[in-house]
Amino acid sequence: MSSLRSDLRLAWELTRGSDRGEWWRVALTAAGAALATGFALAAVALASLRGSYRVPVAAGLLDEPGTRSGVIVGLLLLLVPVLGFLGQCARIGAVHRDRRLAGLRLAGATPWQVRRIAALETGPACLLGSAVATGFSVLLLLRQWDRPTALAWVGIALVAAAVPVLGAVAGALALRRVVASPLGWVRRVGQRNGRGPGLLFLAGILLVAVVALLAVATTSTPAANRPNGGPPLQLMGMVLAVGAGAVWLSGATAKATGRLLAVRARSAATLIAAERLRDDPWSAARTHAAVLLVTVAGTGFLGIRQVLSDVVHSGRNLSASTSYYTTGLDLTGAAIAVAFAITLSGLAVGTAESLATRRRGLAAQAAAGVPRTVLGRALLLETALPLAPAMLLSGLGGTAIGAWYALLAGRPVPWVIALAPVAVYAACLLAAATSLPLLRRSVRPGELRYA
Amino acid sequence: MSRPVPLLSASGLTKAHGRTPALRGASVELHEGEILAVTGASGSGKSTLLHCLAGIVRPDEGSVTYDGQRLTDLPEKRLSELRRTEFGVVFQFGQLIPELTALDNVALPLLLAGTDRAGARARAGEWLERFGVRGQQDLRPGELSGGQAQRTALARALVTGPKVVFADEPTGALDSLSGEQVMTALVHTARESGTSVLLITHDAQVAAYADREVQLRDGAVTPLGVTA
Repeated sequence: MSSLRSDLRLAWELTRGSDRGEWWRVALTAAGAALATGFALAAVALASLRGSYRVPVAAGLLDEPGTRSGVIVGLLLLLVPVLGFLGQCARIGAVHRDRRLAGLRLAGATPWQVRRIAALETGPACLLGSAVATGFSVLLLLRQWDRPTALAWVGIALVAAAVPVLGAVAGALALRRVVASPLGWVRRVGQRNGRGPGLLFLAGILLVAVVALLAVATTSTPAANRPNGGPPLQLMGMVLAVGAGAVWLSGATAKATGRLLAVRARSAATLIAAERLRDDPWSAARTHAAVLLVTVAGTGFLGIRQVLSDVVHSGRNLSASTSYYTTGLDLTGAAIAVAFAITLSGLAVGTAESLATRRRGLAAQAAAGVPRTVLGRALLLETALPLAPAMLLSGLGGTAIGAWYALLAGRPVPWVIALAPVAVYAACLLAAATSLPLLRRSVRPGELRYA
Repeated sequence: MSRPVPLLSASGLTKAHGRTPALRGASVELHEGEILAVTGASGSGKSTLLHCLAGIVRPDEGSVTYDGQRLTDLPEKRLSELRRTEFGVVFQFGQLIPELTALDNVALPLLLAGTDRAGARARAGEWLERFGVRGQQDLRPGELSGGQAQRTALARALVTGPKVVFADEPTGALDSLSGEQVMTALVHTARESGTSVLLITHDAQVAAYADREVQLRDGAVTPLGVTA
């Protein structure tokens, strides 16, 4: 116990002595944990309902088990961009954190002690976010629901406890390289494949998928005139499969693009971007994973929305009021917009962190005479090059979902949705461009003084 | 007449970093209370030898024996314990944790070993006093001069009363006066407490502080005899 107290104190001292980046990490991680807790609590509260229920919000959409399952799956899907965002937050200050934890190993800390200190650095941020979100969610729930069931309370307690625990575990697992060697910061032999964090992200998605499966299996009761949990799950499976393909493609194309362009580059910006991609192709895949998943979901949804809107506004064969359907569409649209905003924030954080990590190298390049505009173009190309083919696949996947739904409903395919990935691509480049002011600061020769 | 048993010995060490060989069958012995200088050109494998001897990295082949224990067979946890209690490590730069003050950096090995904070800080303060950096105890490494940082690192390496101190180019980043202060502090403390020192250097003036010098050439050790 005293050892835990000592480690906790050390973790606090290390955080307290850190630069502004570390505090940004704490704040953004807490925000991400709060979002994850909020979405998970909403899903848990809905999953605790049994059979038909009168829910005072969402125009009756949550009253029946079938549609409720769809909403639960939607809420759980929102965890995917949040996971991506948290992954980006974990990278803030990662180089400094790795270095100081390797320093601890050198001073005699055991691998277990280092893992525990790392977990204690991440866990409290997640605990803070989780506690705030749980407090707000419970207050909101009590306003809408007179007497929540015991099952709902158990679910709420589980989510509130699980988020900080999972955050701490992920923080500790991310330290495989440092824990293996106290010289993690001194010597790096060979190329890192960088797939560890990607696998962690995929494991998170898999966990979300399993939870969604359980939620649908336990909440949906098929009826003749109501859909059971099948369609939402099929949709989720399709989105995840195309998204996982896009993640793989992003890494693979980043590697191939880097290799190809490095020998053929005619401009300095392309050469720098290509070498950077060749050095760590999976970094791009990690950064873009959530973007691609949101693109699949968003493009597919636009198609589905177009078809459903036509059906609803034609007013034929509707078993519920128009507002029932439009509310569902609006809520889904809002959820995807939120997911997109979270994802773009993650992308901006990732690009800024990538710059902060390389500031000494960038300052050295600037000092050696590389113009700032070249470095800026290289930074944008690092995002643009690997994202293009992966975005193409995601766009095709999303369009296929929309087209499939249109054909299923016997409606014309809304091909205009194929433009959505182009808009997402442009938004991603804009998000990456938000870090250009940081580049200006990073290339000051004064940065050469800092390791 | 029987030869004294060395405190630390390495036999037939080989180690490669990727496809680049660093050590090719290096063997070396360090006796109790002895100061041994390992010299050699840049890239000759000096630092890798130190890392293997201190149990920081495992050699590809060969064995390291410390006080009757084969380090190469010990689990990571036990190696960490050795580094915390019986070994002290000083590098050219960078081993201090930038987020902690000089005092907390020196207290760190004691805190990791479970010493209470007040006790750890008190002992750390004594060592800083001894090395003339007590006045800078509340500064972070980035605010210390090179010499002050290196004396702080030395205090951290010695605070647990280790039996062996591994010093990898401890004066490499310092001017001659600061380098002399660091070496005087290290040698004086080692002599006083009977601590063995394995000193890696390419500087003949620094090597002259040692009792014995060996040279590393292309990953293998060549004895040079007694220097002091």
